[in-house]
Amino acid sequence: MVIDSPPVRRRNLIGLTPLIDVVFILLVFFMLASSFLDWRSIALSLPGEGGEPSSDTPPLVVRIASDGVLTLDGENMELAELERRLSTLLGEDPARAVIIRPADDVSLQRIVQVVDRLSAAGGSNMTLNREGR
Amino acid sequence: MRMPEPPRRDQGENVIPLINIVFLLLIFFMLAGTLTRPDLFNVEPPETVRGIETDLPEEGVILMDANGRLAFEEEELALEALGPRLEQWLADDPERPLVLKADAGVPAHRLMDVMDVLRAAGADRLTLLTNPAER
Repeated sequence: MVIDSPPVRRRNLIGLTPLIDVVFILLVFFMLASSFLDWRSIALSLPGEGGEPSSDTPPLVVRIASDGVLTLDGENMELAELERRLSTLLGEDPARAVIIRPADDVSLQRIVQVVDRLSAAGGSNMTLNREGR
Repeated sequence: MRMPEPPRRDQGENVIPLINIVFLLLIFFMLAGTLTRPDLFNVEPPETVRGIETDLPEEGVILMDANGRLAFEEEELALEALGPRLEQWLADDPERPLVLKADAGVPAHRLMDVMDVLRAAGADRLTLLTNPAER
């Protein structure tokens, strides 16, 4: 028995290679150009020049020293302790203003960490202000 | 007698699964990622646990890197030039939301300088962009 007919090769009408090239290029473009970062936002109010927003109760002042020590109304405390104190204080008056006064060289990460915990404690009216003003 | 020639596999058939996967990847990256314009300089925003989920805003973004370089609307500015630029931007609508995308390492005094400029330009609210902390 002689079989000498080679299998019929069907040629693709359109070459696949250019298509793959283009798709790969698109893939690489989208991989490089797209970002998968989630974004969160924290709202801060910029206080007016003159006085703090008037409220019956004086604002709570949280100071952040350059070594990261936190002070609430003159008393040093840890972040967890501060959160507990503030949630008690803000439980009584949720609209009470909280002023955060970081020292000059405190990094934004530390400030945001404190703001984060304070908003967890129920702070809704938070302002950042310069130390010593 | 000639042995039957081993059937040659069509080259195109081998490639089809590959194309399928590449197409799937392409569609994944097109749908899951968001195309963003790269920032003028590298900024790594601080991390938060809370905070409201937001999309990256298209306009009104003040960019600030760890060395205090500033940019507004894709344009690098000095601190002194930021004020007039912001006033102009806020002129038609003083309530336009301003967003600060600042590096986690920015020291507080630089932040305060920018906030003073914002306040002087008439803005009264500022949104700070952060990334969620990885757990």
